[in-house]
Amino acid sequence: MIRTTIAFAVALAAFASPALAQDGMKKGDPDLKSVGPLAFAPGGVLLVGDPAGAAVFAIATEDVSGDPEKVKLDVPAIDEKIAAALGTSPSDMLIHDLAVNPASGNAYLSISRGRGPAATPVLVRVDGAGKISEVPLKNVSFCKASLPNPPAAGGDGKNSARSEAITDLAWVEGRVIVAGLSNEEFASNLRAIPYPFRDADTGAAVEIFHGAHGKFETRSPVRTFTVYTVGKQTQVLAAYTCTPLVRFSLDELKPGAKVRGTTVAELGNRNRPLDMIVYQQGGKDFLLLTNSSRGVMKISTDGIDSNKGITERISDKAGQTYETIASLEGVTELDRLNKGNAVILARAKGGPLNLQTIPLP
Amino acid sequence: MGPHRGALVAALVCALGCASAGPSLTLDEGGRFRAGGPGSLSVFVAGSETPLFGELRGESDGLVFVPRFPLRPGVEYRAVYTPPAGAPVTASFRLPAPGSSPSTVVSRVFPSRDLLPENLLKFYLHFSAPMARGEAYRRTHLLDAEGKKVELPFLELGEELWDRSGTRLTLLFDPGRIKRGLKPREDSGPALEEGKSYTLLVESAWPDAEGRTLLREFRKAFRVAAPDDRQPDPSAWVIRPPRAGTTGPLLVELDEPLDEAMLHRAIAVLDGEGRPLAGRVEVDPDQVRWRFHPERTWKPGRHALSIDTTLEDLAGNSIGRPFEVDVVRPLERTITTRTVSLPFAVLQP
Repeated sequence: MIRTTIAFAVALAAFASPALAQDGMKKGDPDLKSVGPLAFAPGGVLLVGDPAGAAVFAIATEDVSGDPEKVKLDVPAIDEKIAAALGTSPSDMLIHDLAVNPASGNAYLSISRGRGPAATPVLVRVDGAGKISEVPLKNVSFCKASLPNPPAAGGDGKNSARSEAITDLAWVEGRVIVAGLSNEEFASNLRAIPYPFRDADTGAAVEIFHGAHGKFETRSPVRTFTVYTVGKQTQVLAAYTCTPLVRFSLDELKPGAKVRGTTVAELGNRNRPLDMIVYQQGGKDFLLLTNSSRGVMKISTDGIDSNKGITERISDKAGQTYETIASLEGVTELDRLNKGNAVILARAKGGPLNLQTIPLP
Repeated sequence: MGPHRGALVAALVCALGCASAGPSLTLDEGGRFRAGGPGSLSVFVAGSETPLFGELRGESDGLVFVPRFPLRPGVEYRAVYTPPAGAPVTASFRLPAPGSSPSTVVSRVFPSRDLLPENLLKFYLHFSAPMARGEAYRRTHLLDAEGKKVELPFLELGEELWDRSGTRLTLLFDPGRIKRGLKPREDSGPALEEGKSYTLLVESAWPDAEGRTLLREFRKAFRVAAPDDRQPDPSAWVIRPPRAGTTGPLLVELDEPLDEAMLHRAIAVLDGEGRPLAGRVEVDPDQVRWRFHPERTWKPGRHALSIDTTLEDLAGNSIGRPFEVDVVRPLERTITTRTVSLPFAVLQP
């Protein structure tokens, strides 16, 4: 069965070549204007989306010792503790994303100290002992890919208020995939940037279309995505606000391409996907998807590679089946820690935000 | 060298028994904590056991703790100095909180019309001062004619769509509540329905970047017209050129109201050699007329408008592509070039 190789292949594909990750880096101070989505490349290289600076940074954390299999991350009220370390209050800080360093098992969080446009971007590391420290950004090895902010075709060209949010990013097979959304024109914007970054090649934007009920097609923005490998083919699974789960091949992400994805699951109504991982359990592969209204969903990948897509009008759910993990409530961020566990950020109703290790369901 | 210099030391509040002659614990004008002797020195936000990030230095007259980030006005800090012998000394400090009287308002909302298509894609909310992120979807509501909140009308993104100055928010309608084929609309119905009236409400409790609430709430009432599935068509625009030798505006009458933000950057005026002219764009309050005020006087001869085909109308239909493609019906028009050109002549007076 091809499918049984999915998660294992992901692990191999993603982290087979740690030496590669620091190629093309220089020592210096990454000039982060903001911090958003996080992901890891091999060798403890942290990828940081900087929406305000319209860039993606790759920063060598040098955090490559330790065994993720032995790590357990549990920090109650982590928002209060980080705010205190930054000398401020939780209400004056935003936590954007969480990523686990597969080279060490430590968790990294992207934080804004302050909530206005002048907020200070901060990267924080949390280790298995619960120690919170700032990720150093002085004289570190890093490289940067600038995302083109399409220049004004004309007009007065002054005070352009166009900017682009980065909704998610990931490292896969020597490329950094970045999903974005402009604050003006409406289009799904996915970019595959070759890594190590070179100034001249920031990867042309690819528009992803997906059909709905065989009749209409859309180019809605990708909310979150993950990658998995079936045989030799790497697939991207993208979650949208509506028509939630769409599959397309990584090979299709060629500059200027118009890619039509296949809708492999409708996960029900009024459901905003937040974060997604792939994992293996009992020889099968599953997706774990956090979302705004249904707790955490464990989605089966049975037949996902041969799923022809949902083309009929449906009343609620269709495609890949899922179960809702009712015990996991208020989960906003999610990443895989090791073979059997994930790390989540979860807020109990009205309470503080907790960093927790949970067994993969 | 902030505005709170004088207030720093004056705001020193001694905790337990510091009236006795012990080693001093102070906050200097540069926001550094100082202990008047050797030992250890830690600083916390009051009520927390997690120490502040910062650097502890030994100096000739004692210890200095330099916080990694500037102290926050209004936050209470607790410094604990433990001398080599004797009891720890604790002191609390607080920079005066900034004035909390609100002054920020919603200054403009686009589209500014009060008749909007059923498939309206977005609002732009402009504020008079930078705002705090993280509350956009909690503070904005769509009310129906009875004043009842429409459930989840907007696309709630983890990263809110602000401009860099933090004064403009793009509020997208949930495409699933607009588009005919997508499921949320079938279950919940469209967010907007033709013939009905709605109000966009912005709560006054929304904090600005300084943490102050808005001066007042904001309401925009509007009625809803038929959906707009037509792409903007520059060939139907009317160009009214100015006379050569003047700096009069070039007026373009659009075929329908277009996206206010994109109108400021998506149309270039080119001279006879194809070079862009410098000037200022003005969009009329209904977003159906576009004016270009050149920096220099017009020269006679051929000119052209170069229009970015991503320019959208109020429903997200662009010049290049309709918002929603009905794959069963053939497309009326797709344009694959990045720009389209509209020539016009500037005549001698």
